[in-house]
Amino acid sequence: MSQVAVTGGRTAWRGRLGTEVQPAVARLDARRALQLVLAAIWLLDAVLQYQSFMFTKAFGQMLGSTAAGNPSLVARPITWDATLVEHHLVLLNTIFATIQLLLGLGIAFRPTVRLALAASIAWSLGVWWFGEGLGGVLNGAASPLNGAPGAVIIYALLAVLLWPADRQTPAPFTAARAVGAQVARALWLVLWLSLAYFALTPANRAPQALNGMIAGMESGQPGWLSAIDRGAAALVANQGLAASIVLAVALVIIAVGVYLPAPAAKATLALAIVVAILIWVVGEAFGAILAGGATDPNSGPLLVLLALTYWPVTAMTAPVPPADAAAATAEGSAV
Amino acid sequence: MTPAWILDILAALMLVVAAVSAARLVVARPWRPGSVFTDTDVAHLLMAIAMAGMLASSLTTLPNNAWIAIFGVLTAWFGYRVLRDASTSGVRALAGGHCAPHLVHCGAMVYMFAAIAAPAAGGGMSGMGASSGGSGMQTLRYPTLAFVFALILVAYTIWDLDQLSGRRYSMATARVSPAVVPVAAVPAMAGADGATATLSAAQATQGSAVSSAPSGAVAAEHVVPGEPGSGNGSAIRGFLLSPAITVGCRIAMGATMAFMLLIMI
Repeated sequence: MSQVAVTGGRTAWRGRLGTEVQPAVARLDARRALQLVLAAIWLLDAVLQYQSFMFTKAFGQMLGSTAAGNPSLVARPITWDATLVEHHLVLLNTIFATIQLLLGLGIAFRPTVRLALAASIAWSLGVWWFGEGLGGVLNGAASPLNGAPGAVIIYALLAVLLWPADRQTPAPFTAARAVGAQVARALWLVLWLSLAYFALTPANRAPQALNGMIAGMESGQPGWLSAIDRGAAALVANQGLAASIVLAVALVIIAVGVYLPAPAAKATLALAIVVAILIWVVGEAFGAILAGGATDPNSGPLLVLLALTYWPVTAMTAPVPPADAAAATAEGSAV
Repeated sequence: MTPAWILDILAALMLVVAAVSAARLVVARPWRPGSVFTDTDVAHLLMAIAMAGMLASSLTTLPNNAWIAIFGVLTAWFGYRVLRDASTSGVRALAGGHCAPHLVHCGAMVYMFAAIAAPAAGGGMSGMGASSGGSGMQTLRYPTLAFVFALILVAYTIWDLDQLSGRRYSMATARVSPAVVPVAAVPAMAGADGATATLSAAQATQGSAVSSAPSGAVAAEHVVPGEPGSGNGSAIRGFLLSPAITVGCRIAMGATMAFMLLIMI
């Protein structure tokens, strides 16, 4: 790491400007890269949680609204939590935002990655219940286009799949490293089949259901995004059933894709990424971040990240030489 | 609206960054022959002062247009450096280099000052929490751009933190060995001067040797421990000039800037 330049005079001055050493980048394997994306999303969440809107009564009301339609066993704690938040708005929201900030920074900081991932699982489950009303799973409001089954539960799922442990080596894809291929595939199947199911619920297959959902995202968005939403809403106007069936078929194909041979699996994962991006742009309008008042970027980027964890690993990483792996472990960077 | 005390805390953090950057500039002694011009520290210093002024109206220093001009120049400078890095390192310059984050930081500053709703009176920034008579936040035009900048800043912040904890950056400056060191070992340097530079033992002990720090942000004057001139002062100087401090400042500013951009959407 010691590089020396003797400087002096005009040439040396010229040489000093922008002539710094570019150190070797710390080794990143596919899982670490995906962990960093997860960390970035947590950090983004934290910053969004510090927005002005979150320090108003509207935040508490937003939490309380998720209780509607849920069984009383689920709804009552949500209502209690929402009331508590309204009474101690600044304190609690600051705590919420700071927790998410620490989760993001903790995952990015190598020595604390395990602690932060474990904490993120607990936090996600809490928010899924108290902040998202279990994602509308139990009250019929869930739709793939509005973030079902709750964006925050996908954070927990990702934390599990990206846990820095290796149960299966070599793993066919990154998600299999921590929990094994069979469990990882089962989790993927359950998630995407549940999305397919939600796409076909009566509330979502009604003629104007998708149209209304997409058009509802238009308010407060920049002109170009409003135009996209208007166009998409017009496309599915009175076509709720047909659109829901097409979406459900795509989601089922994605769900079973991870059981297919690698080339076909890649194709379905690519489809998953395309669908996730469409959901994020059209259905979720980037989580309504551009309209203000968003607590997170919603499920779109998380679904993309999830799909990447199932991408056949040989296409994403080169094998790490044992010596390098040992060295990385020794310095605590094997994450 | 976002509580004023949160903005004040961030403003204080920016003042700390400004103070650290100023201290680095002083101990690096850029005016002395044999030291290094620390453009990143100058950028950090200016950005921290400007951001503190945006976060707390009482810390406002210059009019918006002045800041736009300053950060416009810095954006051009770092843009030039990124292009030069890219010509030698390819796209790795965007991820592995240290100029690209500074380019984004400076570009975001230009955008913020140019796109923020103009204050009702006067040319200066009135502070984020003090706009509209304190009844609301200032907002940015072209919010999509704010979102894109925020995403990139968050990404660089996370990347920096990972690299910091991955021991890419040391908390101490590089130890200079009084030996002949070929500049060919330093691609960027070789590209600049195209020659081999040597360090004599005499120069090292006299403190005229320059150790180019791994982050490239600074190069610290180094005194070999146990030789004349070493001691607590050198240790403090070494710590201040360590690449980790530069990266730490960058992390703080990147996160704060992303915060500012998103709450002004």
